[in-house]
Amino acid sequence: MAAQDNSIAVEGLVREFKKGPRAVDGIDLRVEPGEIYGFLGPNGAGKSTTVLMLTTLLPPTSGTARVGGYDVVKEGPKVRSVIGAALQEAALDPMLTGRDHLRLQSTMQGIARAERKERSNELLERVGLSEAADRRVGGYSGGMKRRLDLALALVHRPRLLFLDEPTTGLDPQSRTALWDEVGRLAREDGVTVFLTTQYLEEADVLADRVGIIDHGRIVAEGTPSSLKAEIGLPSVHANPVEEGDRGRLASVLAAFGEPLGDGSRDVVVRLREGLAGLPAVVRAVDDAGLTLASLEIQAPSLDDVFLAKTGRSLEGAGEGEADAAEPAA
Amino acid sequence: MRIWPVASGVAWRTLKVVFTNPSLFFPSLIFPLFFFTAFAGGLSQVARVPGFDFEPGYTAFQFCFVLIQSAAFGGVFTGFGIARDFEYGFARRLLLAAPNRTGIVLGYAIAALARWAVTATVLTIVALVAGMNVFGGPVDVFGMFALALLINIAGLLWASGVAMRFRTIQAGPVMQMPVFLTLFFAPVYVPLGLLDGWIEALATLNPVTYVLEAARSMLAGDEVHVLLAFGLAVGLIGGFAFWALRGLRSAEAAG
Repeated sequence: MAAQDNSIAVEGLVREFKKGPRAVDGIDLRVEPGEIYGFLGPNGAGKSTTVLMLTTLLPPTSGTARVGGYDVVKEGPKVRSVIGAALQEAALDPMLTGRDHLRLQSTMQGIARAERKERSNELLERVGLSEAADRRVGGYSGGMKRRLDLALALVHRPRLLFLDEPTTGLDPQSRTALWDEVGRLAREDGVTVFLTTQYLEEADVLADRVGIIDHGRIVAEGTPSSLKAEIGLPSVHANPVEEGDRGRLASVLAAFGEPLGDGSRDVVVRLREGLAGLPAVVRAVDDAGLTLASLEIQAPSLDDVFLAKTGRSLEGAGEGEADAAEPAA
Repeated sequence: MRIWPVASGVAWRTLKVVFTNPSLFFPSLIFPLFFFTAFAGGLSQVARVPGFDFEPGYTAFQFCFVLIQSAAFGGVFTGFGIARDFEYGFARRLLLAAPNRTGIVLGYAIAALARWAVTATVLTIVALVAGMNVFGGPVDVFGMFALALLINIAGLLWASGVAMRFRTIQAGPVMQMPVFLTLFFAPVYVPLGLLDGWIEALATLNPVTYVLEAARSMLAGDEVHVLLAFGLAVGLIGGFAFWALRGLRSAEAAG
């Protein structure tokens, strides 16, 4: 039955903006009930545009999307009644208090008057804002605003939760607390979570499955471990003391595996024989008379997955593209 | 999907922000009082002009104009708030939290009404203290306020349609200027019969003229154009409701 369906099903979703590229270029994805799905990509990749369409804030140019069993275009009101969302920029009124926001949200969601106060107090406590509840939001820190935004998204006990870069700008402690809360919601309450992030660690720690988006297309999808296993082999990152030796070092290391350009100053090679090939690498470098400033072995990360799929590193990959692809806030 | 929870939430929030921030509330209260004092006091000698035949006097004559003006601009001021909500992103929360988005427009309309009710109450008390004559009976007076109330709703719907299309406070002049011009091309200072030339031609075509004359006639207890005025007001509301809802759809499409 649609009413109990906590899944997200997307087929051929496209969003074009006037005078801009396709921000989302025909994506297909499915998120199972109770799953935490991490949507990973650089700035401007199309993450936020996808969230805006799935939360009925932006109509798709083409394609279909069903959220909680409801079509986002034809059944927008029903979609909104089963989802909660904390968007990239917390939409808060600086002149209202935290408690006022909760009152507004719960009233609009049709929560019974008798339940509103109790629910507000419960959520304020859960996100650690009980003491600041009666202060105007204009005086809140970025972390407090994020936490209030999360509380607002949970007011009506949504079955699906959309979090658009929820930890951007948060201190490590707040970030960990938010991860704990999101994990608890999925585990204990069975909430389906669609989480966008540009932090690899966040997707790695939190998500059951990850979709990697670049230039509006999903370039890889799977569990973090399966994606890393796909890349498989560790890579060696070496840096010569003498800048002039860089070319020679690259040709020496090329014998041990596929060279990777990761955008840094390091010479990077994926070791064909895995860690077993490392002694031979060290011997070859020594035999060639090269002196290294650094030598590191890195196991595959989600960044390596991104690198392998797009030829670029996730870190900074989207710089300068955001304005072109993301809608104006 | 129920519309009332959304409307009541939006109305409560708008009023809370307005009434707890003097910089937002006082302009919509002070300007009508200023206009009333300036027009009714400073121009009171206009009542001696031959042909000025409004029996309750010039204070009552100006009161009706300022009442209608405050109603229209009360709606426009609320439109500024809507534009601000879109510009600073708060409208996104409303669009996301509202299962029924038509309730957002209704909520703003309720807030505009409540806000104007305070202004109208203060204005009426000031006018009565200043010695305004009221010759109409309770039904007439009720009709006058009801007519102003409809103008308030029409003003709000007009301004919200503009606000939701432009989604920036910079659209303020677009909301304000047509209302300002329409009001001041009506018989503001003297009755229609004393106007001459192009201004008389313009005033005769201006629907606000008939709204104003009907309001004044009800205060004087000598009704003219009342049905026409209510018809025009309801027509304006119908047209501007369509305009506002199309504006909402435009805002939804823009994301």
